[in-house]
Amino acid sequence: MSRTLTAPTAPTAPVAGHSRAWTVLRPAAARLGTALLVLLCTATVVFFLVRLSGDPVKVMLPPDATAQQESVLRHNLGLDRPLVKQYLDYLWGLPRFDFGNSLFYNQPVRAVLADRIPATLLLAAGALVVTLVIALPAGTIAAMRRGKAADRGVITAVLIGQSTPAFWVGILLILVFAVGLHALPASGYGTFAHLVLPSITLAVYSVAVVARLLRSSLIDVLGSDHIRTARARGLGPVRTVLRHGMRNASLPVVTVVGLEVGSLLGGAILTEQVFSWPGVGQLTVQAIANRDFPLVQGTVLLFAATFVVVNLLVDLSYGLLDPRVRNSR
Amino acid sequence: MERIREEGVGRRVGCSRRSALRLCGLAVPALAAPALLTGCGAPSAASAGNVLRVSQPGDPKTMDPHKQGDMTSMNALINIFDTLTTRGRDNTLQPRIAVSWKAVEPKVWRFELRRGVTFHNGEPCDAEAVRFSIKRLLAPATKSPIVELRYVEDVSVVDRYTVDVHTSVHDPILPAKLSLFGGVVVPPRYLAEVGDEGFAAHPVGTGPFTFRRWQRDHELRLAAYDHHWHGRPHVDELVFVPAPNSSSALAALQSGGVDIVAGMTPDAAEQLAGYPGVRIGHHTGIRTSYLSLDTLTAGPLRDRRVRQALNHAVDVPLLIKAVLGGNATEVPAMIPRGAFGFDESVKPFERSLTKARALLAEAGHPDGISTSITASNLDANVAEAISGLLARAGIRAKVNLLDPGTYSQRLTSTNHGALGPMYLAASTVWTMDGESMLQSNVRSDRRQSRWHHKRADRLVDREELSVDPAVRRRAFSDLQQLIKDEAPFVPLYQIDNIYVHNTRPSWTPGTAGVLDMASAKVAV
Repeated sequence: MSRTLTAPTAPTAPVAGHSRAWTVLRPAAARLGTALLVLLCTATVVFFLVRLSGDPVKVMLPPDATAQQESVLRHNLGLDRPLVKQYLDYLWGLPRFDFGNSLFYNQPVRAVLADRIPATLLLAAGALVVTLVIALPAGTIAAMRRGKAADRGVITAVLIGQSTPAFWVGILLILVFAVGLHALPASGYGTFAHLVLPSITLAVYSVAVVARLLRSSLIDVLGSDHIRTARARGLGPVRTVLRHGMRNASLPVVTVVGLEVGSLLGGAILTEQVFSWPGVGQLTVQAIANRDFPLVQGTVLLFAATFVVVNLLVDLSYGLLDPRVRNSR
Repeated sequence: MERIREEGVGRRVGCSRRSALRLCGLAVPALAAPALLTGCGAPSAASAGNVLRVSQPGDPKTMDPHKQGDMTSMNALINIFDTLTTRGRDNTLQPRIAVSWKAVEPKVWRFELRRGVTFHNGEPCDAEAVRFSIKRLLAPATKSPIVELRYVEDVSVVDRYTVDVHTSVHDPILPAKLSLFGGVVVPPRYLAEVGDEGFAAHPVGTGPFTFRRWQRDHELRLAAYDHHWHGRPHVDELVFVPAPNSSSALAALQSGGVDIVAGMTPDAAEQLAGYPGVRIGHHTGIRTSYLSLDTLTAGPLRDRRVRQALNHAVDVPLLIKAVLGGNATEVPAMIPRGAFGFDESVKPFERSLTKARALLAEAGHPDGISTSITASNLDANVAEAISGLLARAGIRAKVNLLDPGTYSQRLTSTNHGALGPMYLAASTVWTMDGESMLQSNVRSDRRQSRWHHKRADRLVDREELSVDPAVRRRAFSDLQQLIKDEAPFVPLYQIDNIYVHNTRPSWTPGTAGVLDMASAKVAV
């Protein structure tokens, strides 16, 4: 491991040579197949699970509707067709990105989702920024000051962060900054101020995970030969860490940040509820309450697809980042 | 909660950019989506002057009036669309698109229409548009959740400004049913042009406001329609925003981001009392709550004396005072004040634990009874309080709370015992007619009926099918007396409509609590 690793800035096109292309493509194709299978299983499980929750028509119509009106609406929504037929129709639509019509909004699920995705992306981006801004320095400092007070402080904070439920953090932040200090809006969407509290809430867990991982992988790297060499050459501790340590410690961190994107989306469900943030998370909760089968299916599939895609990207970027992975094939 | 920044209400730009700047000392970063820039960039209520901003707990479902059946959506849409009739502030039915109506035959209502009414796109509003609108609501393809027009079979055009609505049975309150959900008039030509999806994306009606822009769960902007038949509304712009909880509503009120907050529960509104610049308006509403008792299944509730004991034991005035902050009015026998058929002479039960205990002992339960109250978890406070009131008379009622979805599913199931011996229910009688309150829970063949009584069935038929209002009124009076005697329910209260507002708007709400804002003014 004496060669320095230079991560390509962009995936380079495979050079001429059939076998070379194939070595890169075959695992990628296999992964893609797995990903599609995962999505199909998710779609199937959600389809049948959501139908155990009850009858959407009961929620849609007022209680004084007649049984006849209910059966008419059930028929119009296609909910009286055999379950297998509904399932096959649903699968048939998936490749064409047709997720059916939302029962509650009475418009295509695709359109309802498209309405809400920007808000969730914004929240996830905000949380990601908060995560990196806090976790990278914290993890680095903890690793460099291993065993000292700063390190212990970071470790304690990490423990607290990992074991505190996000919604509770959210409520606490609302109490302090919105209700108490009147400094930030308690809920809603539309300005930068609205983004602050939900982003922090959503980031708490990720900050803890990333900081902890960065600390441990930096500690591993800092004990290695080439770091000692660098120090012996007279490089200062900070420059050593930044120039040599970070490069090698970045790999597991990139992985975990990728995985955190998935859990950010999961966390968004709770956080968006607490702050009434008009994103996909809040939509999911509403859709479940309304028994809006197609919409629940759509949101869950969207989460699953995001998860799968991010995982796929992380897997593939491994091959690009780490020569050991690249050369082992 | 102690530190409140005193601010001249309505003097400041809405939104909290100030605080954002103070907190961060920076402008919106690059990752901001366009939505972030419109939040404060657009002229807000306070700076634009003649703008009225109204918040509700939720956001409309859709802008297509035939594809919604919830009050939140209707509250917004009633400003874009006109209905055939309307409910005046004095609770009488008044003309809107229709100028007069009469039952020309028992099964035919004839409506004479207002002339010269145009849709926002210039399309004329005539008999054909009315026919098209009702037919569209009833068409299976529309999948409308609106249920009031169940007896309507057909609509025919008599001449350019006259339509006949044909029903399967005589429907005495059809004109009232056309005053809200059922009576919205939509433009046939425009719909043919743009299709259902285009219509929902940019609705066109004849109402006092035209559609501008809707960002789901953020804001709906409407502008005054200059050519409205009733004259231009007072405010230039009307904005609906969702404010799901009392803290966000308070913040919005105090920063001038919102002028009127509607749909607040009494306890949430109480939290806002006393803040500077915040006013709370209470108006008698129409949503009526009651306990339904299962008189059909074997058990103590089959005995009329036990049911009367329950009515004596539930101290409704105390319940209103303790749980609802006084924001409700006692309902003696199911039909609320203000609705057609309400009989002043039927008095509520005397609230007396002694009487309750005596009746229970007489019925063979000297040690009281054990039962249960089922309620949606939204009504947890009221259900728990009722259980406490009953306990004082020796009635041990366990409270079962269900999520709203499961609750409504069981409420409308064919199993009349699905919600147990007692359940807490509420109904909004927006037609302002007693029929709507009793249509699904009294007559033996209706789904929520848990009381089979031949005389009650006859009286329901009389009030539902008679043409003569006097006959209907008498039937309602007899029904209320019968309900009091037989006690198949424990009638509770009609809850107030509560509007929390700042000092800018002046607006008188109607009993049904509809947010029709054409008559509203703001102090600029």
